[in-house]
Amino acid sequence: MLHGKALFSRVGLLGVCGLALATNALAQMSQKPAPVDTVIKNGTILTVSHGTIENGSILIRNGKIAEVGKTVNAPPNARVIDATGKFVMPGIIDAHSHSALDGDVNEATSPVVPHMMMVDALDYTDKNIYHALAGGTTTSLLLHGSANMIGGQAVVIKHKFGLDRDELLFPNAPRSIKFASGENPKRVYGSRSQLPSTRMGNFTVQRAALQEAKEYLRDWDAYDEKVKKADKDAKPPKKDLKLEALADVLRGKVFVQIHCYRADEFLTEIAMAKEFGYKLRAFHHGLEVYKVADKVAAAGVGLATFSDWWGYKVEAWDAIPWNAVMSMRKGVKVAIKSDSNDFNRRLNQEAAKAIRYGGATEEEALKMITLNPAWIIGVDDRVGSIDVGKDADITIWDKHPLSSYARVEKSIIDGDVYFDSSLPGYGLPLWKGGPMSGGGGFGSDDEERR
Amino acid sequence: MRSLTRTLALLFLALPLVGQQTAPAPAKAPAKPAAQKSVTPAKPGAAMPAPGASPAIALRGGRLLTITHGVIENGVIVMENGKITAVGAAAAVSIPKNARVIDVKGMTVYPGLIDSRTQLGLTEIEAVEMSNDLVEASEEIMPHMRVEDAFHAESELIPVTRMNGITNAVVTASARDTLPGQMSFIQLAGRDRDEMLLLRSFAMPLNFTGAQRRRDAGSRFPSTRMGLATQLRQAFIDAQDYAQKWTEFEKKSAEPVKDDKDSKDSKDKDKDKDKGKPAAPKRDLKFEALAPYLQGKKPVVLTAEESSDLKVALSLAREFNLKVILGEVTYATNMLDEIAATKLPVIVGNIFDTPKNGTRYDSVYTLPAELAKRGVKIAFASYDSHNSRNLPYEAGYAVAFGLPYEEALKALTINPAEIWGVADQLGSLDVGKTANVVVANGDPLDVKTDVKQVFIAGREIPMTSRQTQLRDAYSQR
Repeated sequence: MLHGKALFSRVGLLGVCGLALATNALAQMSQKPAPVDTVIKNGTILTVSHGTIENGSILIRNGKIAEVGKTVNAPPNARVIDATGKFVMPGIIDAHSHSALDGDVNEATSPVVPHMMMVDALDYTDKNIYHALAGGTTTSLLLHGSANMIGGQAVVIKHKFGLDRDELLFPNAPRSIKFASGENPKRVYGSRSQLPSTRMGNFTVQRAALQEAKEYLRDWDAYDEKVKKADKDAKPPKKDLKLEALADVLRGKVFVQIHCYRADEFLTEIAMAKEFGYKLRAFHHGLEVYKVADKVAAAGVGLATFSDWWGYKVEAWDAIPWNAVMSMRKGVKVAIKSDSNDFNRRLNQEAAKAIRYGGATEEEALKMITLNPAWIIGVDDRVGSIDVGKDADITIWDKHPLSSYARVEKSIIDGDVYFDSSLPGYGLPLWKGGPMSGGGGFGSDDEERR
Repeated sequence: MRSLTRTLALLFLALPLVGQQTAPAPAKAPAKPAAQKSVTPAKPGAAMPAPGASPAIALRGGRLLTITHGVIENGVIVMENGKITAVGAAAAVSIPKNARVIDVKGMTVYPGLIDSRTQLGLTEIEAVEMSNDLVEASEEIMPHMRVEDAFHAESELIPVTRMNGITNAVVTASARDTLPGQMSFIQLAGRDRDEMLLLRSFAMPLNFTGAQRRRDAGSRFPSTRMGLATQLRQAFIDAQDYAQKWTEFEKKSAEPVKDDKDSKDSKDKDKDKDKGKPAAPKRDLKFEALAPYLQGKKPVVLTAEESSDLKVALSLAREFNLKVILGEVTYATNMLDEIAATKLPVIVGNIFDTPKNGTRYDSVYTLPAELAKRGVKIAFASYDSHNSRNLPYEAGYAVAFGLPYEEALKALTINPAEIWGVADQLGSLDVGKTANVVVANGDPLDVKTDVKQVFIAGREIPMTSRQTQLRDAYSQR
């Protein structure tokens, strides 16, 4: 929507001056130092897209990956990060988070609120952005909660903790909207004796909203047609933010991310998307996808799931830790996500469980926290692997990141080091001080889980 | 009536450790505290082979993490009649002729892990209130509540958990109450709860984290920490008074009855037989339950997160001479030296708890290392039920943040066994201990490692759960 566009253009103006070596850049905004290249040298590079490069190097220029290989052509003045004995992988991407929203996760006053914009609740000073960064997470999809059948629109952030809000926004990221089905909407509205209180009610509400949007879209299309024919009597229908957002879903301009647990619900959601002509991007949680993985794969819907969480409610009772790998083997694009202020600090550990439960290869496991979530968010052309031309979002680890003992040493975003564990204090070279907010809490939309 | 009351009262006084057993007890409840200490499973039923008759099994060729005497490469461990009967290098151990030999070459063999605080058996589906028996939230002081009264031995969570190598756990009510009831020490396999409840009401949590305040809608006393501390202190004083009354009663009861000069008539004498004898005080289950804790005979797990709370709780514990095991201390990072100076063991808080504002990202991850460095005996706990299976990875992450590997292993095995008083039976691969043994294809603390076989009391546990059944059913479609 316009709102988002405006923000992104502002980001463009401010810019994050590539490699302006932090300290000076911030202190002397007037004299913009010439960008300096960075080279990460001699590390074990887990590219995710094209295997492992032992003793490899990465050249970073203007915030992008310029070269990757055994050797790179680094200019003599390049800043060198020695990664000897270290492991280098793309920044981790979390396709399902409610962190940094100061608890404003659900506008649960109506079951259909597609016009809510999560960016309006973004608390860019939330310490969890830092905690996750220190665990290697560099990009997150911050979603509306699951109280509503149709929730609001997500914001995609890069974890550039310490910078201004607009500099955290992922430039020109596709729009995503949150749908939800199952127990949460039932519970929220049912407990108030409102519609919906059943799964029938859930889908009735969803279908009715989509039908209304379809008619809104038809009216606008008719108007546009008249304008095109220079009809002087053309009268624009009333602009309605809510229906406009849903019309964009029907126009295919917004990715639909559905919170959904049960096998029957996946099939209902797939059928409804077909009925109204929109595409589903991914099922979130999707703990029973293993039961109908072939159908989910055939519909081209991805899966953002927990590694092994289960039993916190009835619709999570059939969860099994083999879900991710079983679904992947049937062709579903699978991401392991956090949905939590805890797991987004150690998604590497969660991904490693895909090796244990189902025998994923290391590269398959790493894809579940990099390229696959990048695809779910729609930014896989820009992040998620170590490839030339992609954003230089890179993490450096002391051990293989799928080991229980691995720690992040550096988190790099757009070529700048935002976290460095060797520094005293917080380990945040670009943090200017100021507030660090955020409570404890789980940062989840399934608040009953703990 | 009276004589019955008196008998019960005497029993209580004679055996203050088991005051609660004067109440109607489960048929198989151990009669004496000595029996409670035993971790040998109770008499076997028909469905499972008797531990006494379990066939000898020898695991040959594995890498044995004995915990107490180092790592043995290419080792042999023999289990018979529920116990470990031999441990050593392959060349040094002679395998009994009748033993079934299992080749575990390339595998790592270690003692069953102990989760020092879980809610296993007290919940099934968290959001389904009727499946929860987590805490009695109507009152804050409930020492007479006993976890064993709710423990659901057939919970689907238990096979899921033991398949990850966790063979024993301390089951504890949730921390919503200051004194939510007494704990049970369980074994994660057995024909029924009598066999799985190894120790009943053997320790008690004392929670002082602020979460016990009654601040919900319609807030009531105690809604502050002042309220909580005062309420607790009063409960302890009342329990001491109660014990004193019984002591006095017992003393008086033991004295010979003096002749009453006013009733020499033999008829009256018979009628007034009890005249002059003291009346027994009214029994109070709550205060009886507190008695062994106030006498320092059973440990209290004193749980606080913040240093300010820990100070209050520790001073209360000192005031009443409680025998203390510390719990959590997650955010008390400014009093680690003071904690070490108490020489008390610590059941460390879950290291995945969110760090406080104003602290570094790893301030909680490093807690186990910081405590161990100061010589504190630590044990890990999941503080969870469904995710209790992930306990070993918490220890692994603590290693990533500075805890020596050996210490991490101990904090899952011999340390909790010592803390809970069962080190003669559990916590290491040593001859004579209960044969709780895990075979895995690698390092127990690494997430990628797959547990291949678990033995509990020498029995080969089926490596199946509701989850593997679902996996297998849907793999075939």
